[in-house]
Amino acid sequence: MAGVLALVGSVVLLGVRPDILAAYHYNQYTVAATHLWVLGFLGSVAMGAMYQLVPVALETRLHSERLAAWHFVLHLVGVAGMVWMFWRWDLKQVGHFGSALAAGVALFLYNLGRTLRTVPRWNVVATGITAALAWLGLTVLAGLAIAAAKCTYESLETLPPGHWLRWPLIALQATAHWLGRFDPLAVMHAHAHLGGVGFFLMLIVAVSLKLLPMFALSELQSPRRAGAALGLLNLGLAALVVTLTGRSRFQFVAGGVLATGLILYGLELRAILRARQRRGLDWGLRHFLVALGLLAPTALLGLLLAWPGLPATLLTTQLETVYGWLGLAGVVSLTVLGFLYKIVPFQVWYHTYARHVGRFRVPALADLYSERLQKVSLGLVLAGVLGGALAAALASTGGVRVAVLVLALGLGVFVTNLGLMLRHFWRPRLEPLAPPRAAPASVSRT
Amino acid sequence: MSAEPIEVDARGLEPPQPMMRILEALASLPAGATLRARTDRRPMHLFPILTERGYAAETQEQTDGSFLTLIRRA
Repeated sequence: MAGVLALVGSVVLLGVRPDILAAYHYNQYTVAATHLWVLGFLGSVAMGAMYQLVPVALETRLHSERLAAWHFVLHLVGVAGMVWMFWRWDLKQVGHFGSALAAGVALFLYNLGRTLRTVPRWNVVATGITAALAWLGLTVLAGLAIAAAKCTYESLETLPPGHWLRWPLIALQATAHWLGRFDPLAVMHAHAHLGGVGFFLMLIVAVSLKLLPMFALSELQSPRRAGAALGLLNLGLAALVVTLTGRSRFQFVAGGVLATGLILYGLELRAILRARQRRGLDWGLRHFLVALGLLAPTALLGLLLAWPGLPATLLTTQLETVYGWLGLAGVVSLTVLGFLYKIVPFQVWYHTYARHVGRFRVPALADLYSERLQKVSLGLVLAGVLGGALAAALASTGGVRVAVLVLALGLGVFVTNLGLMLRHFWRPRLEPLAPPRAAPASVSRT
Repeated sequence: MSAEPIEVDARGLEPPQPMMRILEALASLPAGATLRARTDRRPMHLFPILTERGYAAETQEQTDGSFLTLIRRA
């Protein structure tokens, strides 16, 4: 719920300040809106879902629900404060609120790390999730270092020797000094790739290798190919972060390695879908496939932008915004919305109806929401994302406003559908069982 | 003498249908009988409900990658 509220807030910000997309992205409003979207929406939903899904997908139990609750509190305080302070461009306070967020992420990593240690059978999914967690840790550290690099440390001159704050401040100053050797924009782009590719895309790749077979009634076709895809993604990302930070001409090569990993991943998904027992695909899975469809142009655009010697013009700098928008609002957000259509109805059904099965007649999962609204919301959100990309490329504030309006309509429909699901918590639909007849076909006495 | 076991084949079904099939079959499980449920995955969400209803369950992975869960009154 916190995530969906953050998404609505991000769209409102885009409507109020369309220059967030239509102007060059290195400004306080774009940075604030991006963090609200990425940490507030995507981060909240992804981390919340991981607490639910990782233990189930890997057949184990979550280490601690109490730590998860503390993480949630720190996350809310950290994100709200960070976005507010980014908007005011008070980077010292961004660092303070970012530290609260980082403390929450540390709890999350510890909790998931302890959970992963109890996994009975290590597999490619567990490896991918572990990699995503490691990249998340690095993303947060890089973010804190960037904030530290933009602060000054005059208080060191007035602090008495031996004061407890001296050493942390000296460490921060040293970090700021070291990071000052690099181009701030390049460091910010590396930070964005650590989070966007390292955490979100890696997580999507890993989790989809488990969930797609589960929902399409299929099997992982080649653990070796899936492992190779993950290996190349990790290798390509590590190289990309280094080459981006150093503004190296080898960015293109690193991007090529990443793209090769994505191609292998796409081939594995195609094989999983071809081997499926369930012919028709529901709209939750179609959300995900549409999102993956957007991954191809996003990756191609990324490769184009990594081309050595590409001139910095109005168009190419706006294309950087389009790249980020397509990746985060398109690929990652559509995937998250698609998986929300899987996760939320299941959670509502499980907590409301599972204990009544066999005692009452309970609704099926698909009866919890409207498929028609789901199709409409997907169409509108997709149109809004594509329209936003076009408007950003043209640097058109009017175009961004129209695209954001379409996106907001799509999200409104999505939230309505979410309301239909959640209503079952308060108004469960339980009916008495019909008198017993013959046993179902799949049940037999031996 | 223990009652005959009941067999539920819930393979090839999307969640939560395997859980529904198993819980519906449990409602008619005679005293002392065992329910043998076959699923594609280890039924992690089922275990807390079985405990709540007073059943004990044991799951074993099969050679074909599916899972067999034996459920009886605790």
